[in-house]
Amino acid sequence: MATQVATSFYNRLADEFETKHQFTQDTAASDRLTQLRNNAFSIFRAKGFPSIKEEDWRFTNLVPFLDLSFDVHPAGIDTDSLQQAINEQKIPGLDTYQLVLVNGSIRMDLSDLPTEDLVTVQPLRNIINESFFIDHISNNSHVGVNALVALNTAFFSDGYFVEVKKNSVLDKPLLILHLYTSDKDAFFQPRHFIVVNRNAKAEIIERSAGIKDETVTLTNSVLELLIQENAHLVHHTIQSHNNNERWLHYNHVDQQRSSRYDNFTCTLPGADLVRNNLEISLNGTATETHLYGLYLVADHQLTDNHTAIQHLHPSCQSNELYKGVIMDTGKAVFNGKVFVAQDAQQTNAYQQNNNLLLSDKAQVYAKPQLEIFADDVKCSHGCTIGQFNPESLFYLRSRGISETAARKLLVEAFAFDVTEKIDNEAVKQYVQQLIYSKLSSASVRA
Amino acid sequence: MLTIKNLHANIDGKEILKGIDLQVNAGEVHAIMGPNGSGKSSLASVLAGRENYEVTEGEVWLDGKNVLDMKPEERAREGIFLAFQYPVEIPGVSNINFLKTALSEIREYHNLPPLTAKEFLKLTKEKQQLVEFDAKLANRSLNEGFSGGEKKRNEIFQLAMLEPKLNILDETDSGLDIDALRIVSNGVNKLRAANNAFVLITHYQRLLEYIVPDVVHVLYDGKIVKSGTKELALELEERGYDWLKEETPVHASSTQ
Repeated sequence: MATQVATSFYNRLADEFETKHQFTQDTAASDRLTQLRNNAFSIFRAKGFPSIKEEDWRFTNLVPFLDLSFDVHPAGIDTDSLQQAINEQKIPGLDTYQLVLVNGSIRMDLSDLPTEDLVTVQPLRNIINESFFIDHISNNSHVGVNALVALNTAFFSDGYFVEVKKNSVLDKPLLILHLYTSDKDAFFQPRHFIVVNRNAKAEIIERSAGIKDETVTLTNSVLELLIQENAHLVHHTIQSHNNNERWLHYNHVDQQRSSRYDNFTCTLPGADLVRNNLEISLNGTATETHLYGLYLVADHQLTDNHTAIQHLHPSCQSNELYKGVIMDTGKAVFNGKVFVAQDAQQTNAYQQNNNLLLSDKAQVYAKPQLEIFADDVKCSHGCTIGQFNPESLFYLRSRGISETAARKLLVEAFAFDVTEKIDNEAVKQYVQQLIYSKLSSASVRA
Repeated sequence: MLTIKNLHANIDGKEILKGIDLQVNAGEVHAIMGPNGSGKSSLASVLAGRENYEVTEGEVWLDGKNVLDMKPEERAREGIFLAFQYPVEIPGVSNINFLKTALSEIREYHNLPPLTAKEFLKLTKEKQQLVEFDAKLANRSLNEGFSGGEKKRNEIFQLAMLEPKLNILDETDSGLDIDALRIVSNGVNKLRAANNAFVLITHYQRLLEYIVPDVVHVLYDGKIVKSGTKELALELEERGYDWLKEETPVHASSTQ
């Protein structure tokens, strides 16, 4: 129990689980689900919230973010502000389908979905007793090793289930908006599931927002993705938050043979805490995976990206590029693990992480981690931490560009390696514009 | 236009400029020559406002305004342009976007509205032709992957776009082949006007065959030790700098 974080929050969750347990029985949870939840909670009970004594949490101390008496049954949806929040989260100039969730549950009245021959969308609670779902989360979620996933598994009640039909190609992107609102400081634990069936192709853009500035939201979300044989998913996560928001995301991707998964994770300055766990299991041969990340961290914020790619079969390719800009007293963590199993011959795995520190007090902890057990592979990794080239800054200024504008240009330029990889032109421009507008003059000044 | 009085400057505590006096009038071209380490590039850097130089004494005036009080960007907006000896590569910043930003900041400083997209495009095309700068290069990242000659030509293209008053060319001719030298020189000659001035810093008399200077100065050990007409450049080409060193009393071992 040495790693247990002793917080009253932990104790309240333990009490809550007993009540919840009653509740799940009332709503006719299958024995398998009940057993899964009990199992998950006992893991969380034993491990507690992750502490800095755990390798994966060495640089991200959760304790300060658990300090409030979070309401675990949030109430008080502010309907008026929903539409405004939706408009704010839309991407200008981009025609999309739209799936809106409020406090983790689908709001069909605010959504605009593709036809059912292409994609089916339903509340996750509809399928939580289905064996295909329970099988999937039992096999894939790493409940046993990740206390936060275990906690989510013990408690989750809803989320979305999106299934892209076999052979279908989605004609425009699906924008998924997660909105959270509560009268009091609140804790949310949504659970989501995306299945892209054989030969299908889709582009999904996810955005999350807490609507009320005055209350603090802590969200521990788990998303599972299953990319079936020969399917292709382009998955964007654009995280442009406000303070008083604390986000813990765990995304697990199960890639089947010859599938392709492209992930773009852009985190802009704003939230107090963002921890993204992105785990990819390559469960078939000849898969292709691209992970592009960009994190801009300012003020007292903490952004932590943990990625893990498991090469388990031969002839798979993965390519990862994460770049970060850390300003003020911001702190960033990057941990990129690439695991190549003994059977995974002819693996190509590349990883690159570059960081730009813009102030004396900015911090970054970067750790590339390669574990290779096969002998016929091409793998590389690189990591840099640096500052502005003063010569570049002087060059721009000597042409009449103010120091602030010059610094912004250089940050944009640094981010360009990642943003240029975004194929969707409207998304690319939106992200570039967010970078420019979110860089406050104070932050870019050293 | 430019008046420099008794300018002294240090870098890392070491005195590099030891009392420079220079007067450049509108419409003139001045060449500054001198052996390696004499302070030519330092003078250019100090005028442009490079921050690792510390001015310890003296004055610099541009049309009645105190240059030394200004930040580098203010100097640029007032009309000082330094064509770099080693232009920096900045991947991810597009050449055109960079010029658009620079131009609108300069115009804003002078209370002028930004150019419309159409006006900017027209100006870009016109100046590209004037200095024979490839349109493909203009659309690439700033200097990224440019050859040495392309970088220097980009400096002249920027100069043409921003239309400064005082143009300082820091060894723009170094590393150029004959064709590139001719193109750069033609560009400069076309840009010469009654309301601007050029200061050419160079090692070689060759550049001055293409761009004929009104005055040639020799900088040695942080001071201007001789000024003359363009014939002085020819004499230097023939005789080197040693005869000047002998004529000039020097503090013990102060050259590099």
